[in-house]
Amino acid sequence: MDMLQTSIDGLMVGSTYALLGLSFALVFGILRRINLAFGACLLFGASVAIYLEPILGWGAWGLFLVTIVGVALASVYVERLCFAPHSKRHGAVTAMVASFAVWMQLDEISSQLLPQRTHAFQGIEMPNFWWGEIFVRGDQLLHFVIALVSIVVLYLLLYKTRLGLLIRATADSPETAHLLGARVPWLGFIIFLLAGILGGLAAFMILSADGYVTPLFGLWSTFKGLIAMIIGGVGSLMGAVIGGLILGLVETHAGAVLGAEFRDMVTFGMVFLVLIIRPGGLMGVKIYRTDTLAQERV
Amino acid sequence: MLSVNNLVTSYGLIKALKGVSLEAKKGAVTCILGPNGAGKTTLMFTLAGILSPDAGTVNLLEQNLTGLGAPKILRKGLALVPENRLVFADLSVYENLLAGAFTQDRAMAGQVSEDIEKMYDRFPILKARHDQPAGNLSGGEQQMLALARALMSRPSILLMDEPSVGLSPLIVDEIFAIIKQLNEDGMTILLVEQNATKALQVADYFYLLDQGKVTFSGTPDQLKDDDIIKRAYLGGG
Repeated sequence: MDMLQTSIDGLMVGSTYALLGLSFALVFGILRRINLAFGACLLFGASVAIYLEPILGWGAWGLFLVTIVGVALASVYVERLCFAPHSKRHGAVTAMVASFAVWMQLDEISSQLLPQRTHAFQGIEMPNFWWGEIFVRGDQLLHFVIALVSIVVLYLLLYKTRLGLLIRATADSPETAHLLGARVPWLGFIIFLLAGILGGLAAFMILSADGYVTPLFGLWSTFKGLIAMIIGGVGSLMGAVIGGLILGLVETHAGAVLGAEFRDMVTFGMVFLVLIIRPGGLMGVKIYRTDTLAQERV
Repeated sequence: MLSVNNLVTSYGLIKALKGVSLEAKKGAVTCILGPNGAGKTTLMFTLAGILSPDAGTVNLLEQNLTGLGAPKILRKGLALVPENRLVFADLSVYENLLAGAFTQDRAMAGQVSEDIEKMYDRFPILKARHDQPAGNLSGGEQQMLALARALMSRPSILLMDEPSVGLSPLIVDEIFAIIKQLNEDGMTILLVEQNATKALQVADYFYLLDQGKVTFSGTPDQLKDDDIIKRAYLGGG
């Protein structure tokens, strides 16, 4: 029974990791870029939300809304500043280093907004309940449902709509998409906006479940997101979801069986194993495609 | 139908096209022959709007296409099947065809699915593979997909850049049979080819492009009578 309880707890936590991983996978899968400032964007959104909370007085739902808007804004800010100017194929490293610089900047703003080390973060009140002998926290169940719904919505957007087809076509070959009149302008902007919204959702869920935020949250969420993506499959959306769920399960089980201090050790051990046995991740996609682009061949 | 006048395109200081003029007549297959580096692909890219010319004009059915971007040129009825196909490898065959119809108005949505059915009739292999990623298709199948995708925009002239490149002889025969069939169904085609023997079977008029200039133009008979061309492109002599 304990096993089942731990697994359910793990899935609840894992669903938020899945969203973090999905944000990374979205940016990497479509733009082939890594945004090191991702966690800083999350911290920034949360800091703005806490800072504005006493001014707005909208309670938990206000935190929810402002966090998501704040993270999304920070995310598109990073895109405009670091990624849009380096959108060519060879700009990957430059953009990543630039995002590192903006990480510092966002972290600094966040610590100016929240000068103390720990700040309370209010959650949405939900009744907890027992299901037989299984205990389920109401807010975590809500988070699980929200995560599931956003994953489904993202899937529908990318695979069932005209915009989604345009996005995937442009990601596949920008030159051919241009030739067919199917290139999406502002592709990077759209992707970072989506990643920001997903990240904002994840930030709210994690922070409200914990009940507080510290300045370390940014780095922590960058790690969790990257690990979820690496385990699941670099650049694969489905992989990031599965990777996040596995990460949540492994963490909670390791914590329950070996004790909290072994949790991160087991997690990083698993990342090493995956990188050695299956470097592309569980659902690894071919990252380096051999097709040369039309423009380069001229 | 398509008339190109004194077209000049350069990459920086290097002129790849040094004043090319040619004409593609309605309902005909016009073929551009030429060695590597002659400027054939540059010409195709300039006509399709991927590159913009420094001088000269391009007209299609009384419309001036000079200097327009690729999506606008496609809307005006000129579609290019690029060299090496360039299908969207991660998208399914069906999605590739849909992507070809993006310049169509949304109101034509019904016609788009009708057009896709027509493509499936013309290329049954695409129907059989409609839900597979295009990257899994063989070279010949990808060429058919690229061709079908270009047709989805309902062009009035179809440009094909070396459709035979990298394909086995049997598949090349098949591709040229399709080109011939398309032309018999009324499609105007401008073809770039290195395989002159094959091109002779379908083309009505030839241009020879060398170092950015047209050095010969004529009918297939005139081409066959030209000793230099015969030696260079048709073998023997």
